[in-house]
Amino acid sequence: MRGGLVFFLTLLLLQGLVAGANHALAPLQICLFAGGLYAGTAAFLLPFGPGFAAVFAAGLACDANSGAPFGTHALLFASIHSVLFHYRDRLPNDETAGRILIGQACNLALFLVLTFQRIRVAPAPAMDWLRLAYDLAVSQVAVALVGPWFFHLQRKALAFVRAEPARSLL
Amino acid sequence: MQKRFDQARPFFTLGVVAAAWLALPVVGKAFLRASFFEFTAPANVAVSYVRDLQEYWSLRLHSKPELIEAGRDLARVNASYALSIQQNAELQSEAERLEHMLRMPAQPGFRLEPARIVQRDFSAWWQRLVIRKGRDAGIPLGAPVVWAEGVVGRVSEVHAYTCVVELISNPGVRLAALIEGDSQPVSFQGGVNPAFGPARGIVEFVPLEVFAYPVSPRRLVTSGLGGVFPAGLVIGKVVRVSPSADGLFKTGEVELDPRLSELTEVSVLVPENAAVP
Repeated sequence: MRGGLVFFLTLLLLQGLVAGANHALAPLQICLFAGGLYAGTAAFLLPFGPGFAAVFAAGLACDANSGAPFGTHALLFASIHSVLFHYRDRLPNDETAGRILIGQACNLALFLVLTFQRIRVAPAPAMDWLRLAYDLAVSQVAVALVGPWFFHLQRKALAFVRAEPARSLL
Repeated sequence: MQKRFDQARPFFTLGVVAAAWLALPVVGKAFLRASFFEFTAPANVAVSYVRDLQEYWSLRLHSKPELIEAGRDLARVNASYALSIQQNAELQSEAERLEHMLRMPAQPGFRLEPARIVQRDFSAWWQRLVIRKGRDAGIPLGAPVVWAEGVVGRVSEVHAYTCVVELISNPGVRLAALIEGDSQPVSFQGGVNPAFGPARGIVEFVPLEVFAYPVSPRRLVTSGLGGVFPAGLVIGKVVRVSPSADGLFKTGEVELDPRLSELTEVSVLVPENAAVP
């Protein structure tokens, strides 16, 4: 449980950093989305229960600070976490590059789901695709750049509270 | 059997949590939302204070001649504002006299509540601001938010000492508006937000006799209908209109002020009859 709490705190830190970056990027009308880093790491570092709780709680924190219906991010992050946990032995998660690719794939999936969920309220959806493409490209680059530091931070934080990354299942 | 259950456990847990979430009453969700927002708010507000401090120290680096020049420019602006205040007071008394003569109901009054911006969140999905005033300043839900050049948006969430403002560029925001020089109300909707450019909106139900071109845009102002925004606040510029599919009206494109995405301070219009904390 201690591991889950520390993991949740690292996700809150990430949320603060992304919010700060989005505040700075607002004059350019560009937005970063790093959902893949929230949902795509706990499955490889924590047992299922604490990881699920941390990811779900981080999703609720994202929901509270966004315009999406409350629970959207939480359920999406929890779904991604469950899928990754189920297939974690078959995914290349030992190398940083592999985990970045997993993070980017999760980011892409979450971005597309949120886009299709929100596009119905847009007055001219056809005019939004270029903006969405820019946002997605910037987000994927940001995940690749921030990913290695964030994975290292999570490992160090877990080691600090002596909740070493677990390979044991369930 | 046990192994198969263990393999399915992530999806089983997910299903149970999703079902429990769907069954959770709206009150519970609203409480959780407010709790998570208030939990993260101190960090966001602290960052905004640090940003203000950073700005203060960067302003301290300006030389004295620059400050003298800025003070002189400010004095000129203040002088013109002082004149506008006198004219406004005269117009106000004239309006009150006419209201009294015609036995019209008085226009609702507002007090201005200035607030610093804590956070901007301008994605293609939603466009929001968090400001540093909330229930502590008596801000009600739905209050209009303005800046020097017109409308910013309206308050969509009120928390203990912060508020969330839904911008006029937020997809789904609709306002009753008037094209300057025309008396028929039109419908404005925000939500076209291209990257690296100013936010845009669309205007519907424009009368057929109204024309607007990029070289001669028409100002779009609030109509005062709907009871939220007072009349006459600038929304943006109608830069293009074209006949709609039914041929009865026109639809158009509205360009919003590019400085909306760089705001650092806004004012909330608090109705004078709202409870004072």
